[in-house]
Amino acid sequence: MRKKNVTRNHYYALKRLIAIVLLLTSIYIPGGYAEMTLSQDEIMVSGVVKSGSGMALPGVSVRLKSNSSKLTITNNIGAFSIQAQSTDSLVFSYVGFVSKTVAINGIKVHNVQLESEGNQMEEVVVVGYGTQKKVNLTGAISNIDGKAIQTTTHTSLAQKLQGKIAGLQIRQNTGGPGDFDAMINIRGFGSPLYVIDGIARDGGSEFQRINPEDIESISVLKDASAAIYGLNAANGVIIVTTKKGKKGKPQFKYNAVVGVQSPTGMPEMATAAQWMEMRNEADINIGKSPYISKEELLKYQQGIPGYESINWYDETMKKYAGQQQHTISAQGGSDAINYFTSFGYQTDNGLLKSNALNYEKYTFRTNLTANLAKDLTAEIQLSGRYDKKNAPGESFFEILRGTVSSLPNHRPYANDNPEYPALVTDGQSKNPLALSDRNRTGYAEDVNKFFQSSVALTYNMPFLEGLRVKGLASFDGNNYLGKNLAKSYQLFNYDAATDKYIATDLRNPTSIHNGYIDNNRVSLQAHLLYDKVIATDHKLGITLVYEQRSGWDRNASLRREYQFYTNDQIDMAGLNNQQTSGIEHQFGSKSFIGRTTYNYKEKYLFELAARYDGSYRYHPDRRWGLFPVASVGWRISEESFIKEKAPFIYNLKLRASYGLVGQDAGNPFQYVAGFSTTGGGGYEFNDGSYSSGASAPGIVNENLTWFKSNIKNVGLDLGFFEGKLSMEIDAYQRDRTGLLAYRNVSLPNTFGGSLPQENLNSDRVRGLEFTINHRQTLGDFSYSLSGNFNFARTMNVYVERGPFLNSMDKWRNGSANRWNDIVWMYDVEGQFQSQDELVSSPIQNGDLGNSRELVGDFKYRDANGDGLIDGNDALPSAWGGNPKMHYGLTLNASWKGFDLNALFQGSGNYSVRFTHAYATMFWGQGNEPAYFYDRWHKADAYNPDSEWIPGKWPAARLEQDIGALYSESSVWRKDASYVRLKSLELGYSFSGKLMQSLKISGLRIYLNAYNLFTITDPFVRPFDPEQIEGAYNAGWVYPVSKSYNIGVNVNF
Amino acid sequence: MRTIKNIVMFIGIVCFVFGCKNVLDLKPLDKLDSKTLFSSPEGIKVYMANLYSQLPIEDFAFGRNGFNSANINTIGIAPATQTDEAANSEYSHLVDGGGNYPWWDQGYKLIRDVNLLIETIPTLNLNEKDKSEIAGEAAFIRAYTYFALVKRYGGVPLITNTQKYNGEVESLKVPRSTEKEIWDFVLDECDLAAENLPETRTTDKRRATKWGAYALKSRAALHAASIAKYWSKAPLSGTAVTQKLVGIDAAEADSYYQECIKASEAIMNSGQFSLYKPSPATVAEAIENYRALFENPNAAPEEAIFVKGFTNPGSSGHSTDFWFNPNQTSDGSPHPGRMNPTLALVDLYESYSNPGVSAPVVTTNDGNVNDYNGFDKNKSYKTFNTPYDIFKDKDARLWATAILPGTEWKGKTIIIQGGYIQPDGTAKIETDESIVVNGIKYYTYGAAEWPQYSGFAVQAGNMTRTGFSFKKFLSKNAVPPNLGASTNDWMDFRYAEILLNYAEAVIESNYTADNAQLKAADAINVIRRRAGHKQNIPLSLTNVLRERRVELAFENKRYWDLVRRRDYHVLFNNTVRKALVPLLDLRENPVKYIFVRRNLSREAPLTFPVNFYYVSIPGIGANGLVQNPQY
Repeated sequence: MRKKNVTRNHYYALKRLIAIVLLLTSIYIPGGYAEMTLSQDEIMVSGVVKSGSGMALPGVSVRLKSNSSKLTITNNIGAFSIQAQSTDSLVFSYVGFVSKTVAINGIKVHNVQLESEGNQMEEVVVVGYGTQKKVNLTGAISNIDGKAIQTTTHTSLAQKLQGKIAGLQIRQNTGGPGDFDAMINIRGFGSPLYVIDGIARDGGSEFQRINPEDIESISVLKDASAAIYGLNAANGVIIVTTKKGKKGKPQFKYNAVVGVQSPTGMPEMATAAQWMEMRNEADINIGKSPYISKEELLKYQQGIPGYESINWYDETMKKYAGQQQHTISAQGGSDAINYFTSFGYQTDNGLLKSNALNYEKYTFRTNLTANLAKDLTAEIQLSGRYDKKNAPGESFFEILRGTVSSLPNHRPYANDNPEYPALVTDGQSKNPLALSDRNRTGYAEDVNKFFQSSVALTYNMPFLEGLRVKGLASFDGNNYLGKNLAKSYQLFNYDAATDKYIATDLRNPTSIHNGYIDNNRVSLQAHLLYDKVIATDHKLGITLVYEQRSGWDRNASLRREYQFYTNDQIDMAGLNNQQTSGIEHQFGSKSFIGRTTYNYKEKYLFELAARYDGSYRYHPDRRWGLFPVASVGWRISEESFIKEKAPFIYNLKLRASYGLVGQDAGNPFQYVAGFSTTGGGGYEFNDGSYSSGASAPGIVNENLTWFKSNIKNVGLDLGFFEGKLSMEIDAYQRDRTGLLAYRNVSLPNTFGGSLPQENLNSDRVRGLEFTINHRQTLGDFSYSLSGNFNFARTMNVYVERGPFLNSMDKWRNGSANRWNDIVWMYDVEGQFQSQDELVSSPIQNGDLGNSRELVGDFKYRDANGDGLIDGNDALPSAWGGNPKMHYGLTLNASWKGFDLNALFQGSGNYSVRFTHAYATMFWGQGNEPAYFYDRWHKADAYNPDSEWIPGKWPAARLEQDIGALYSESSVWRKDASYVRLKSLELGYSFSGKLMQSLKISGLRIYLNAYNLFTITDPFVRPFDPEQIEGAYNAGWVYPVSKSYNIGVNVNF
Repeated sequence: MRTIKNIVMFIGIVCFVFGCKNVLDLKPLDKLDSKTLFSSPEGIKVYMANLYSQLPIEDFAFGRNGFNSANINTIGIAPATQTDEAANSEYSHLVDGGGNYPWWDQGYKLIRDVNLLIETIPTLNLNEKDKSEIAGEAAFIRAYTYFALVKRYGGVPLITNTQKYNGEVESLKVPRSTEKEIWDFVLDECDLAAENLPETRTTDKRRATKWGAYALKSRAALHAASIAKYWSKAPLSGTAVTQKLVGIDAAEADSYYQECIKASEAIMNSGQFSLYKPSPATVAEAIENYRALFENPNAAPEEAIFVKGFTNPGSSGHSTDFWFNPNQTSDGSPHPGRMNPTLALVDLYESYSNPGVSAPVVTTNDGNVNDYNGFDKNKSYKTFNTPYDIFKDKDARLWATAILPGTEWKGKTIIIQGGYIQPDGTAKIETDESIVVNGIKYYTYGAAEWPQYSGFAVQAGNMTRTGFSFKKFLSKNAVPPNLGASTNDWMDFRYAEILLNYAEAVIESNYTADNAQLKAADAINVIRRRAGHKQNIPLSLTNVLRERRVELAFENKRYWDLVRRRDYHVLFNNTVRKALVPLLDLRENPVKYIFVRRNLSREAPLTFPVNFYYVSIPGIGANGLVQNPQY
């Protein structure tokens, strides 16, 4: 028999510290065996169980503490009765509520109130420079706990958060090992500020590398509540809090997950036969003689030896790449000291068969809390990371381009001799097999060494209750070491006549490059905190903080070339053409922060805060800025008319906030009129000795200052039925003024100097978001659902520019008062069906008329009816590449030992467009996607009189023979909106005797699938809608992956 | 007790926090104030380096993207490919709309920067001689700058002090001076520079000298004189003309020619300069001397008057080797072979056996060199055993300027072949094919795989389409295949140009004082002797201009020569440039080479509109200037 005092798995969008405490401490406490005994003292105990808000709770389990197998369940009015010894205790437990133990003490009636766990009344969230009860929040702040983050398996923290928080917009731009380049954006505002354990730290790339196992919770400040962080908080703030130890026996945890990943899709390229067929038509279609003879073509179609097709992608890439993550942690504590410590290891292997692309990471974290003396606590936090990305000496871009663009009738090796990789250069690509081989092309390696530390002392002032002071000092150091060996390599042609391999040198000579960046940052904070309850109903909180930050960095770079390659050391390379560079930077800021919170009976909530920030960046007279925020909340559900008349309304709160936030703008020191030693061109006054040049001072702008953001937010929180159903709705607007632009004064261009940037432009983001949560328990089965939605757009309000030439110019080129992400393109009316239609249609291609168009080509709409398709016919009919809409839906279910978690996620209102090989026939004379095979073509290519057979795509032609086919239109620019099953996880937790005998307090194994399927436009699907187009919009980025993982969590 | 201890500790922390140095008072680490900079000659040199780097020197890194564009992808379009000197293997352009090579804002930036220096000179802590040298150097830079402006735009606003902006723009507007006023200003500044600059420098040798100033004057005066003389060949009309903002009276021509003659003579009489290796023993020596002169001008201090250095690959190099090596010696550059010398240029070079006239490449037995209709199997072609025998007698400088088919370069035989004539007489030209004749396999492009040849195939634009590849300025050594990787230096002024300027000025103005006619004839003949010629030719305009074209080929002179002499619109009037296509004649046994004079493949006819003699002035709306004619 075992005692089950809480159902294990609760995932709920509103996160609960208390729940974590429970989860961490009370998973399957092994049950004991107890004799059933009758006692003279046994009495019948009865009562009613209600929630904190007075609702009767049916289905609550009531057990005897001495014998957990003896239990009863409350009925539909929450009543129970049970026989028990008068000295025993009753344990009340109910899903979603904190268990409660009540000593009977001989009393026969026990009416019990259960406080709901998590969510609800007592949940505390981390806000800027402190914590606050969730119910008393007046700003738009979302919170997620470590456990909810962990339900998605991925190497990047960003992907583990994606789709889980309303307004936290995340897009996985690429899928490469060690890329960590996901877009993270709060509400469409831009890159947020990251605050880790109370200290503003590095950006998104570092954030994505944090070991998720170390995270206690993440708070997202989405509105003006971010103003407490002053400068740089205009885009919102992400606050990460890491785990601390708790008093108790040491608890060890080992978590491991291993898996395989493969691209969510890869566009299929044409086979040799398809390519030859289309290439042949490309010549015939423009009236040239056939590219190859009918007999030759037949050989390709039959694939006889020597005419086989090769799939370059399969030659170069593996089907699956492995990944694994391991973390071992320990926590515990005594009266004197609590500790949490962890060590993590992660590898992520790339898809290259050469194994030249991979990533590994080691992390550690130690958080100590020591009670030094009565009222004096010290917190010491240390964390570090070493990570390393290996890549081949040619970029992944080039390699992927090689797999896409190389012709399918070529061979990877000259004369099929693996010693001699072939020189294939059609499509301007190079042999991807050779490029991905680090023995041939060299390698690139990025190493990061990262160290963060902080010490904080908190002292509770004994002479005034509620007054605390805290001092905090932090040092962070980050070393970046980059190394790149770009080897000269050879590719070969085979000359059958002489049986010789002809080498072509590529990238001569071999060069080696080392780069070093050393970053340092010191933050110091002094806090004065005061909390006071006055006459029971008035709660007052005051926070005063002084903070200063300073940092410095130094970077250096070394590069040498080899006369002949020896080994990969700078010293071993030649002395000719050495290049070195190095520079240092410094920064500093100072801030005074104040905040007052006041509430009356936790019903009327007020908060007033301000930060007075000084930045080194600007002129001393203009470097200080005040960033205030005010917010109010009204908990209507606390009003008696709700409590009495509508007790099913568990929570109803209206809140509003308004504040001013700043964002650094422009390069530092623009107020200094100095000669720049880096801006000027140099000159060689003596042979071989280059003299650097100092450029004359530009016109300085002493008034340069930060952008100003006004952020307004109104929100409504709603909860029904003890929080079984709840929602939060927010509407917001951010107005930025002072964006940098050049003043449109008509300085004559003989002046010789240009005006500096000034704070001139403005824009506005407006958005709406909501979250809906529902959870329910039906016996052993419990589930929860959590959906979130965010829609935000940015409008340019004022854009400094010269006067428009005419109304057309204004219509076509104006940007003020328009959405910022609009694409102008032609309407497509269909495909030309006949030569007659072609001749009688508006001129598609300027001077060349319709001379290069063929039947099957796309026909653009002549929007202005002038008979000519040109720029004036383009219409603002598509969104650009940034998603405006983000949504997520999480489903959780658990039944007995099983738990299931599914996350659907998606984005909408954006488009993608590819160029180069993925969306051009025969780009650079190379291979083309197989989809083009469904094309207009003659029934018999060799018979020009045979009839046209329609297809989805136009007739084959080389790039130079194409008319206006590739103009911007809905043919090529596709709506990339999508919904995908981001994550699906099924777990089972073992319990019982076996665990006990193994001395394991918890064991869970799970299966996880990531990016399992995607619903999107069929054209976009193989490219993955989430993936960016990358350089040149060519789509040659590391593909986004799907993965299958198996994981284990062990507690002992 | 403990409480007190804790309080003390806290006070300590707070003091530590507030007591720190003020973290906001930082200084930029990459900026200097003027006191620090100008307090020493070294500091002045650092400022000077920036001024020199902005000089509009039309060197290797000058192209359609402006000056110092070595690291910019210029798709290998060099000034030469926009004249009759060469074609780009991929693109045909003469000029981009509104005139070529605009350079306005950068010019006035440099003027502002140099005016700032001129205003600082009186305050410098230097002796008077050093101050006057700096004044001379500033005058040289200002002359150079206004020269670059006036040859593009005609008369421009003359700004000689640093304007101050106080929020009001009207007072900053300066109207255009006449074209003559600007030319006169340029020549006056050259005089000022020549007066103050030292004759030689022991350190910082590449800073301007007296002779650099005279050389600049020689070039500028010749330009001004030509415009005066040839304006009427392509007259323009409009406000800019009536206000004399463009154009110079023909009557002024002779005085400008004389300015050129005087400035050139100053250099010729200085005894400081002569030609590099003036009397080679053999033609082969002449070829190597001429080639080596451009590979490393530092070995020729007697000829180089003003040199611009290229030092560090990547940062301060140029991209000549990247773009212009033939395909076979690309060394991994993805875009070689862009510069294709034209047949017109090749024709121009004299033969040793018939000096004094150009020697067009004769390909047929009828001797007709004006048939560009392509291969005709009924025609009788001259046959050759090698692809280069046909050039055998031509001027050494051709061999050092262009890579001729079948010649060696960097250890490889450069194969340039446009096709073959099958034994049955069928011509296979500019198509990738092969044929076996008498058991030997022949390829249309001369080899099986494209890395093995350098001509005529449409291989990503890497193959010459004129039949010639480029050689002058290329390094014989391996150069990394990167933009900006070449580091050989540029002779901006060299003695040969001065001689040619002198000869042209003398013949154009019919100047006779001081034995000028004889000296001018000698000027062109010493240059020819250096190229291996033994026989002198008489002074004539044709001879001077031909000599100028072949001697200064690819030194970015041709564009301005066509402009100043108003030859551009005549030469390029719906004109297609010409190629020489070597073909393997398989009808012969053993096989022979024949050649076809032909229009360039993939070339649209090119036309130079007359208004392009002046570049349109940008920013008319704001600067209120009179626009150049016909814009």
